[in-house]
Amino acid sequence: MYVYIYDDYLNKSRYNKAINRMEIRLTDLNLNGKILRLSGIKNIKKAIENEIKLGAKTIVAVGNNQTVNKIIGAILSADLYADFQKQTLLGIIPIGDDNSIANSFGIKNEETACNIILARRIEKIDLGIANNHYFLNNAKIPSQETVLKISNYEIQTQKKGEIKIINLLSDKDEKKDTLKSSPHDGLLDIVIKNSKRDISFINTKKLLIESKHKLLIDSVVEIDTPVEIGVIKNAISVIVGKERIFI
Amino acid sequence: MFNKENKLEKFKDAETIIGPSIKVKGNFQGKGDIVIEGTIEGSVKTEASLYVGDEARVVANVEASDATIRGQLQGNIKSSGYLAIGENAKIVGDIQYKDISIEKGAIINGQLLYIDSSKNSKNKSSEEVES
Repeated sequence: MYVYIYDDYLNKSRYNKAINRMEIRLTDLNLNGKILRLSGIKNIKKAIENEIKLGAKTIVAVGNNQTVNKIIGAILSADLYADFQKQTLLGIIPIGDDNSIANSFGIKNEETACNIILARRIEKIDLGIANNHYFLNNAKIPSQETVLKISNYEIQTQKKGEIKIINLLSDKDEKKDTLKSSPHDGLLDIVIKNSKRDISFINTKKLLIESKHKLLIDSVVEIDTPVEIGVIKNAISVIVGKERIFI
Repeated sequence: MFNKENKLEKFKDAETIIGPSIKVKGNFQGKGDIVIEGTIEGSVKTEASLYVGDEARVVANVEASDATIRGQLQGNIKSSGYLAIGENAKIVGDIQYKDISIEKGAIINGQLLYIDSSKNSKNKSSEEVES
């Protein structure tokens, strides 16, 4: 059974065409299922728990990065998370902007997303956790006046640049800096880029960030520091496309 | 002169790279290759290879299988494999090595101790060496 969870912003008329295209394609592929709208749900966690109880095999986030993060957050905090891990997959149908997570999985638009759901290529993916916020792609913070504390050592730089803590590569440019990054290894890849020739690369299971800046998670949520960041190995099974950008 | 076989070149695909503007304080330990172009204070240990670049400043005891030192290092070095010291290297500290090569111009202020795998460590030469 498929459950499609539509984000609030898809109520806007400018998304009607994309929604129609997607729904027609899903019908053509015989992938119809139940539709839940976040705008009509008071408690997303309870709603997802209910669908898992009813035997949902695939929960599909229809929207953008924020939609995926909201749904993953609800799944991981659900009492039935163990059941979700056993029986349920997460699918993504990107609509609109801010869709780097879908892009990571090789899902370019709503139509290819439907074909990918039908093909059911499955990958177990690690999840990053920053305080109590989950992230799939990365967390970013300016490098100047930021200290990273990792087990027995700490890292700092006085130059302006960016620190990125990567769980899942989000684009091909990022791949150039972090060739070995994998979302299956139980490690977070820290990339500190202060210039084209000044790039540092370290991996770790957990770290603490202290900074005067805020940490930006998956390009949508900002949180205050200090932040403890960790990784949950193989937290979620995701339906991915052939053209995913990780190994 | 050193060539690729002598491993004076920076490793490709190192597990850890400390860039020029980065300062690391504490005990850094890894299993893969480590490249240091920035500053480290504390200690560095890896089961694989270590590369200390020309502009690097290391105030730490370092331990690695193979190691290439081209910058400044204040601390003891232990290399159980091949140790290459470049022409611009300035090392203040004792060196334990199995195989070693030292380029002309390198400055070493400390003892060189040969690691004999068949016997205990044996002092091969000591005191100040300037090649």
